[in-house]
Amino acid sequence: MKIVIAVLTVLCAASAQAATPAELLAGYRTEAAQQAAGFQPSAQRGAEFHARRFGVSAKLSSCASCHTDAPAQAGRHVVTDKSIKPLAPAANAERFTDPAKVEKWFKRNCTEVVGRECNPAEKADYIAFLTGGR
Amino acid sequence: MNKIRVWDWPVRIGHWLLVGAFALAWITGESEEWRLVHAFAGGTVVGVVLFRLLWGVFGTRHARFSSFVRGPGAVLDYVSGLFRREESQYAGHNAAGGWAILALLSLGLLAGASGWLVYQDIGGEWLEEVHEALASGMLAVALLHVGGVVVSSLAHRENLVQAMFTGLKQGRPDEAISSTRPLAVVLLLGWVAVCAWWLAR
Repeated sequence: MKIVIAVLTVLCAASAQAATPAELLAGYRTEAAQQAAGFQPSAQRGAEFHARRFGVSAKLSSCASCHTDAPAQAGRHVVTDKSIKPLAPAANAERFTDPAKVEKWFKRNCTEVVGRECNPAEKADYIAFLTGGR
Repeated sequence: MNKIRVWDWPVRIGHWLLVGAFALAWITGESEEWRLVHAFAGGTVVGVVLFRLLWGVFGTRHARFSSFVRGPGAVLDYVSGLFRREESQYAGHNAAGGWAILALLSLGLLAGASGWLVYQDIGGEWLEEVHEALASGMLAVALLHVGGVVVSSLAHRENLVQAMFTGLKQGRPDEAISSTRPLAVVLLLGWVAVCAWWLAR
């Protein structure tokens, strides 16, 4: 039993590397600035990215396909019809607080919707959009 | 030794259904477009495993856990016998294969249960990592199982993959099963369909 508790503690500690959306945004911004000097995150570009129809997947043509045009509201999975918790941290405090989770889902969803992995600039813009530019 | 009937129909159909469902669940695991198919495949895995647990008690001779679950000593004896290319002592599952079955059934059930919880949005990212680890563990055991089947087939000069299709293996006449229970397949398929449908809701 002690071993079980110890394992669970370690797993929880490892999975919950707490961060704030602002810290994550700053990290991607730094990365993006290394690739393109003077990069500044743009909530406007993030909003356009969110709505853009990439046409890679017929059903999941854009981020908004599942996460809706209003990311502060709950989304709906277009394939399973299951509810998806809001993406915007203002409506769902858990969003963008676990760097490993954020990287995993950017990788998964970008590969399927955009047809490639997203770059740091796109990730920074996207978080800027979801946090209202703050 | 002659070819005798060893694997009944539910064992064979269940085996290949599990192979297909797990493979489908594995390749659709990362995709949202295929999420519904993934959930159906996972539900199929759970359905086959639950049926197999009952069949391990009420099934034919070589399908029963009591006939093939053996201690570590028997596993070591069997594996060392492989290197000497001895004839197999087992008409049914060998001692090492028995443990592969137990591991695959356990991992299939746990991966399915954790996947269902994640699908219902219970447990969060932590449980999702657990689900992925269980599925990876199941793939690892499945590959080990395939490796074992190849090694045993070569050592005993008997095609064990073919046996899982035909149900026929080398053995003494008194070790044969009397019926291959084809009607129980209807029960298996019906139960699996209900499981897959219910778990993918």
